[in-house]
Amino acid sequence: MKLIISALALSLAAAVAVPASATGVMTCQGDKAKWQSIAKLTDTIIKDGWKVRKAKVDGGCYEVYGTTPEGDRVEAYFDPITLEKLYVSRRGEVLFQKAK
Amino acid sequence: MVPKSLLWVLLALPALWWAVAAVQPDADLEALLHPTGELSARLLIAALVVTPLVRLVPRWRGLIRYRRAIGVAAFGYGLLHLVFYVIAMGSLDDMLAELGARGIWTGWLALLLMLPLALTSNQAAVRALGRSWKPLQRLAYPAALLTLLHWVFVHDGLTSALLHFVPLALLEATRFLPSQRRFA
Repeated sequence: MKLIISALALSLAAAVAVPASATGVMTCQGDKAKWQSIAKLTDTIIKDGWKVRKAKVDGGCYEVYGTTPEGDRVEAYFDPITLEKLYVSRRGEVLFQKAK
Repeated sequence: MVPKSLLWVLLALPALWWAVAAVQPDADLEALLHPTGELSARLLIAALVVTPLVRLVPRWRGLIRYRRAIGVAAFGYGLLHLVFYVIAMGSLDDMLAELGARGIWTGWLALLLMLPLALTSNQAAVRALGRSWKPLQRLAYPAALLTLLHWVFVHDGLTSALLHFVPLALLEATRFLPSQRRFA
């Protein structure tokens, strides 16, 4: 009985302690010194017809919240070195994934 | 023992905090979605663990009197989460476009199931519904399941959602253990 309660307490503590920011769907590796600026990325994709609401670093990639030229409101990941589009999803529904 | 009125005040405090954050000129409502949704899920889990927990530890039966406030707060934060979502999206077209995404319809449905529960969480409804009140409140279980799915799909990751729901699942599982008192 005590064991069950302690296990529960422990898992609850773990649930509270895990940071909410760890989304983890995409990770990018590569030398940070070679990164292009995030402003360069947003300028480029805005020229392509994107609307950008927010851009930040997530899992070593650039993550953009915005609307695609096709009008889909999405969350997109880009390679910070090549600025290549890696992954586009709408609330977990994958709309684009770069071929491996 | 915490007076129920104090509990209601405590449960309302985070809402006040987020409401203030949401009306700031540079407010990022998208960033408020996760904390409000997470608190709603936590409260829903908390309301649901009361019964199996008291069955396991009969000394804690005093917790039952707090269950209604916790459950209603779970709905309240779900509603706040929805309000922030609607404001952040700011466009009916965008909301309809993603309605079919599994991370979205599961959330809508979870909150929809919680609506009749919140509306009947008062003595008048308990009296009016009589024997059908309890079966109605069992909608909390499918609501919890949908909340888990919403979290997993919308957040692209299992870890955090599972860490929250595994304790609930474990406690629910203990209901199937033979009651110790009955066999004592």
